[in-house]
Amino acid sequence: MAVASLPHQHAEHAEGGVDRFYEETRDLRLTGFLFFLFSDVVLFSAFIFAYLYLRNSGQSWPPPGIARLDVAFAAWNSVVLFGSGATMHYALENWKHGNFNKYAGLLIATIVLGIAFLGGQAYEYTHLYFVDKISWAGSGIFGASFFTLTGMHGFHVAVGIVYLTVLLLQSIHGVYTKDKYFGITAGTLYWHFVDIIWVVLFSIFYLI
Amino acid sequence: MAVAATHVGGGIADHVHPEPQGFIRRYVFSIDHKIIGIQYLITGFIFLVLAGLLAEVIRTQLMNANGGFVSNNTYNEVYSIHGSAMVWLVVIPLMTGAFGNFVMPLQLGARDVAFPWLNMISFWMFPVAGLMLFSSFLMGAPVAGWTEYPPMSLQGEAGTSMWCAAIFLVGISSTLTGMNFMVTILKMRAPGMTLTRMPLFVWAQLATAPLSMVATTALAGALAALFMERQFGVPFFDPTKGGSPLLWQHMFWFYSHPAVYIMILPAFGMISEILPTFARKPIFGYKMIAFSSVTIALAGFMVWAHHMFTSGLAPFMQLPFMLLTFVIAVPTGIKIFSWITTLWGGKIHFTSAMLFAIGFVVLFALGGITGIFLASVPTDLHLHGTYFVVAHFHYVLVGGSLMGIFAGFYYWFPKMSGRMMNETLGKWHFWLFVAGFNGTFLPMHWLGFEGMPRRVAVYDPQFQFWNRVESVSSYVMTFAILLFFVNILVSLRRGKKAGPNPWKARTLEWQIPSPPHYYNFKHVPTVYGLPYDFSEPLPYRGLDDELTDAPAPVPAGAH
Ligand code: HEM
Ligand SMILES: [Cu+2]
Repeated sequence: MAVASLPHQHAEHAEGGVDRFYEETRDLRLTGFLFFLFSDVVLFSAFIFAYLYLRNSGQSWPPPGIARLDVAFAAWNSVVLFGSGATMHYALENWKHGNFNKYAGLLIATIVLGIAFLGGQAYEYTHLYFVDKISWAGSGIFGASFFTLTGMHGFHVAVGIVYLTVLLLQSIHGVYTKDKYFGITAGTLYWHFVDIIWVVLFSIFYLI
Repeated sequence: MAVAATHVGGGIADHVHPEPQGFIRRYVFSIDHKIIGIQYLITGFIFLVLAGLLAEVIRTQLMNANGGFVSNNTYNEVYSIHGSAMVWLVVIPLMTGAFGNFVMPLQLGARDVAFPWLNMISFWMFPVAGLMLFSSFLMGAPVAGWTEYPPMSLQGEAGTSMWCAAIFLVGISSTLTGMNFMVTILKMRAPGMTLTRMPLFVWAQLATAPLSMVATTALAGALAALFMERQFGVPFFDPTKGGSPLLWQHMFWFYSHPAVYIMILPAFGMISEILPTFARKPIFGYKMIAFSSVTIALAGFMVWAHHMFTSGLAPFMQLPFMLLTFVIAVPTGIKIFSWITTLWGGKIHFTSAMLFAIGFVVLFALGGITGIFLASVPTDLHLHGTYFVVAHFHYVLVGGSLMGIFAGFYYWFPKMSGRMMNETLGKWHFWLFVAGFNGTFLPMHWLGFEGMPRRVAVYDPQFQFWNRVESVSSYVMTFAILLFFVNILVSLRRGKKAGPNPWKARTLEWQIPSPPHYYNFKHVPTVYGLPYDFSEPLPYRGLDDELTDAPAPVPAGAH
């Protein structure tokens, strides 16, 4: 176990040393969390494979009778989500530098942008359902793959919003310190993961 | 690992919790990997009995060419649940959950797995999933076999949806265990235990864990899709709505071929521990065995379509899948040669564990050979869907995986319980089992060649003779397993005291008391080499206190 060499900025830690137990468990949790994200990628990949497979087994895409997706709207909505990725990134940076207020502001911005993205998705779904008459179960493989995959992604965003809100409350209550903030790291990683999945989904549903 | 002066407190290795008191925390919701391992063992054995009874329903029905024991529909339900339970509730949990949990952290010199709480949660998903699976009988169990191909699985009764949910849940459990083991093996090895000093059983778990993680998640996707289609009519697989039944086959086999390695790699690891111990010789080709496990695991992701040669796969896809399947048999062959070479000229002690290990090598090799028949497209076109396939996978799964589980059990039982198994009963178990096994499954080869289809409740009378031989033999096999359970119960009460190291084995778990203390090691040892050099002194330092009255480690304060 490589735990011997540790960064120097920890030297000002309360007892004048490093909490090895914390460092080691953080290492375990980080590795475990990355594996978890990796499995989640596989879950998305399974459905992405299913989508591409079904899409290529038909003659035309979108299938006859299905309206085209509104690319421009989805593009603006994507910008909102990617913007939240940026705010989250700077939230973590500010935490590391001890700027609590900036951190909190950016975290709140992230949450708000995340909610806005979900709102956009809700709008898109309603539009598809009421105007274009496209539904999850009633529109063949188009509805099945589109709503399942984007819905899975939306679910991940929603979970992320809850998680980030918990993080906000926890950091207000002093759960994390300047040295011990694994929860915030994990939240950031998760949020970036959700972003990256969206890049893929956006490309395969709206661009190709 | 010297602790620098500036470090406050210890790391994980110095962090010992007080042993929980009270039955519930100790034996029910335990977070101790050893207890969890034993919980998996007991639960897995219970499901082995249940799924075994279903097997006997199958064999009793097939006594007569025109069946008559159960209705045709019940027959379909029975073999579907038999297969599903044996794969997901018996072999996989026993290989990873039971032996992986009990043995692997001890062999690593760790105090527990990386995430003990997660481990407990993973375990408890397993019996719940098992109950769900068996409860599907109450609502019309699935009838399309353990593979549940659509469109038939779309038409099945409500129990098929329950099947999806149950397998999904046990799959999550297996994925979480895979992650837990990955982190444990990569991060929690004792000081000095480099990857190339790890025991081969740990290597096998390291190769298996990513399969549990990746392949099982893909299966979860397929199951979720099938569930959504059945419950909400979301079309993925129904061809009348633009879906594709072939899609299910791709998704299912993308999981299930790697899953066959989840079911066999840990057994490879056990055999690689048992053979050198009882031949008193170093394992031959340590690196080749370790490396071939990893190769098998990776290449296992690229051969799934060999299950689909007759499903309308494009011909240009058949050739690569056939060739890749041949290639993957090479690392398997390497292992078999390494084991034979390990035995060669050794001073062999024929204990029950060793008998099962040798039996494993022989029977598994036979199953590997029939695998090659099935992997070549021209012969598979004839053999697919016949009893030949049933023969193949029972040789690898019963002759292989289950024999491996028995071997591992005889080997590690003294460590788990502190007592020896009864050798006489063990040998009866072995010989009756091998006889019954071959009587049951050997004739399936020629029945399959002659065209007897699998998954049928009644069959052409020309096959009756051999089917009767099979059924009678299967009763012998069941009786042998009964002896095994009797042996466990008798040995738990009256077995000789085992002492720390009855087999004079060299891996770390044998250097500490049987059963081990709650905290495993008084001091985490330092490792200097491979455990397999029987002529050398043990390659560990820091174990001197283990078998003395030296005080146990002091539990850490609240963190
Ligand atoms: C040398 C290695 C192996 C090769 C070349 C091989 C090849 C094959 C092929 C080509 C099939 C498809 C047959 C068909 O449906 O027509 C098959 C089926 C199967 N194999 Fe193997 N196999 C090997 C090892 C294993 C191992 C180690 C296991 C499990 C521990 C296993 C378990 C199975 C199972 C369960 C099936 C049947 C699936 C079903 O229900 O249709 N095989 N094998
Ligand atoms: Cu296969």
